[in-house]
Amino acid sequence: MQQTRLEKAITILNARQDKPEVASHIGDIDARALLIVTVVYLVAMLSVPLQRTDAIIWFAVYPIISAPLAHIPYERLFRNSLYVLPLLFFIGIFNPIYDHTPSFIVFGITVSTGWISFISILIRGLLATQALLLLIHVAGFNEMCESLRRLGFPGVIVTQLLMVYRYLEVLLQEALTMQRARLARSYGRSSFRASMWGAFVGQLLLRTIERSHRINMAMKARCFHGSLSTSPPSRWDTAATVYCLIWIPVILTLRFLDITLLLLSLLQ
Amino acid sequence: MNALEFQDVSFSYPGGHEVLRDISFSIKKGEKVAIVGLNGSGKSTLLLHTNGLLIADSGTVSVNGKVIDRKNVEECRKSVGMVFQNADDQLFMPTVEADVAFGPRNMGLPEEEIKCRVEKALRQTGCSELKDRAPFHLSGGQKKMASIATVLAMEPSILVFDEPTSGLDFAAEAQFIGIVDRLPHTILMSTHDMDLAHRLCTRAILMDRGSIAYDGPIDTLPYPLISTL
Repeated sequence: MQQTRLEKAITILNARQDKPEVASHIGDIDARALLIVTVVYLVAMLSVPLQRTDAIIWFAVYPIISAPLAHIPYERLFRNSLYVLPLLFFIGIFNPIYDHTPSFIVFGITVSTGWISFISILIRGLLATQALLLLIHVAGFNEMCESLRRLGFPGVIVTQLLMVYRYLEVLLQEALTMQRARLARSYGRSSFRASMWGAFVGQLLLRTIERSHRINMAMKARCFHGSLSTSPPSRWDTAATVYCLIWIPVILTLRFLDITLLLLSLLQ
Repeated sequence: MNALEFQDVSFSYPGGHEVLRDISFSIKKGEKVAIVGLNGSGKSTLLLHTNGLLIADSGTVSVNGKVIDRKNVEECRKSVGMVFQNADDQLFMPTVEADVAFGPRNMGLPEEEIKCRVEKALRQTGCSELKDRAPFHLSGGQKKMASIATVLAMEPSILVFDEPTSGLDFAAEAQFIGIVDRLPHTILMSTHDMDLAHRLCTRAILMDRGSIAYDGPIDTLPYPLISTL
């Protein structure tokens, strides 16, 4: 039977909560090692000056190499990361509008620093999303949160993260119920009238709040006291140490060494 | 000592509507009691008082001799396992196994003990083969059995069911009866299904607009009284 997009989304959301069943080369590594490398990667990449687009591009090495090791085609990872593109576009678009400082000329066209920083924001955003998607895909959302807790992240925030993830599922399930109810009476009409969207979203919000309240009661009935426990934690082993020892120096090299300049000088 | 005791319990939801009025009854250890009554008669609200999810405006609710208050509510919840009407509200973890382990893990039990309890509860409810499945993909009957397992894993002495067979087909209902009939627990269940009540319970409490209209053996429950409510 063919699943609807909402059903697919729920299935994926569910699957991403735990580690994938299919073993991969980096799937058994302690999630804390994956988390540490991802954090170092994000900090290193995001701290590169905005105008250094050439330096940012080298950071694509991490997702490009890690994705096949996690048995995910990089192409799929890249495609999935494109979902954040509209948000990145909105964040970056004001740069070319307000910053007209000339940077260089290509085929007679002056490229401003605003455009360079805009491109830089897009690339950073996509790479950061890819790194996070990779982390969640390999470790699973629950284990990632457990790792955050074990690395000393405040428990309240970790529980909030886990709750938000579950709220997404509630949101999708309620949306699915409403969609089915609509389809049953739509007589072939494929979408709502524009005026109905407001009522749909409002109803959806109310339904999810009500359902979340009932779920919260069911959780409290089973001794939930504010800290969402997940599966038993994995152990830090040699593979985790090796993983960190390989990736952290590579990332720091990308951050502090001008690879483009180095290659150019080698070529000359 | 009574397993469960309500004494002059009254409760109103915010907004002032009184849902329970001077409710008093007690349930002995091992007794199986059905709460019956029309929609809106206060059955579910009454059940929510049994493990402190709602606290009475006046009167007291005692579990195994201890009056539930805000300080000991966590302790009481270990003794009273509640199975909610809608299994979708009860199952929220990624897999059935994780969901069944949720309660014992919150109780702070060691991992070995959690594993044993989860296996036992899944076996008791016939859900062992569902343990790795996502609750979202289960049938209504399977969800109900899994939600019973989530409560059994906590090994409570009292089980509370809110409309346990609503939405179940006859096969799932028969499975439910087969499982619950074997349990030695004190049981309190709200239901509209009089046949189910007769098969599982020896006593009935009939609710009418927030008050108890009848409390006695299920065999002498006055049916005409229900129809005139």
